[in-house]
Amino acid sequence: MINLLFFGRLGDFSKDMPATIKASTPAEIRHLLTPDYPALAKELSQPQVLVSVNQMIVGWDQPLADGSEVAFLPPVTGG
Amino acid sequence: MSLNSIRIQTHDFDLAKEYQQLRELSSTVGAVVTFTGLVRDFELDASIDSLSLQHYPGMTETLLQGILDQADKRWQLIGSTVIHRVGELLPRDQIVFVGVASQHRADAFEAAQFLIDYLKTKATFWKQVSQDGKQHWVESKHSDTDAATRWDSTND
Repeated sequence: MINLLFFGRLGDFSKDMPATIKASTPAEIRHLLTPDYPALAKELSQPQVLVSVNQMIVGWDQPLADGSEVAFLPPVTGG
Repeated sequence: MSLNSIRIQTHDFDLAKEYQQLRELSSTVGAVVTFTGLVRDFELDASIDSLSLQHYPGMTETLLQGILDQADKRWQLIGSTVIHRVGELLPRDQIVFVGVASQHRADAFEAAQFLIDYLKTKATFWKQVSQDGKQHWVESKHSDTDAATRWDSTND
């Protein structure tokens, strides 16, 4: 299973966001979320949303190993 | 490499203490530049009640270390400190500190500005404001992106 993290506004789309999912790439995760969370999936398709695997920014086609941590990162607003 | 310190914390920091630590890093320190960011009392022209800061533990520290490493390559630095607060904050609270010690002022001035510009656009922090009892996430600003971009094309 893949562990999922949604940061910033991406974490507010639903009260029952899945914590884990079975998928082989971040793009597949986005695809799998579309039926139950269409608004979130649309947001994940925005070019400014980044994805990380095990805390490294990667492309959406990055192959995922079982147990990976995938995080979805909206534009940052620190400082 | 210079002596760097990265701290993500909920509690406040003491500007004088941070300055003193940078000052005492070495007898060769000839300049210390510090920047402190405060919580503004408005967002989108409306006053705010409070601010909540979220970050990605682990990744934030890694990204900040990467930014400090870049600063070390670009300028002659003796030491740098980056502190960022997370959790619940109120207007006028201190939120972020960047301090740089170097032998000469130009390195400290430029590196401090680079560090805060890159921190704002690359480190994994997200602000949520509370206005009239309602929470909303702060949008990223083009002016911040532009401020960071100007460092992308310069290597000195």
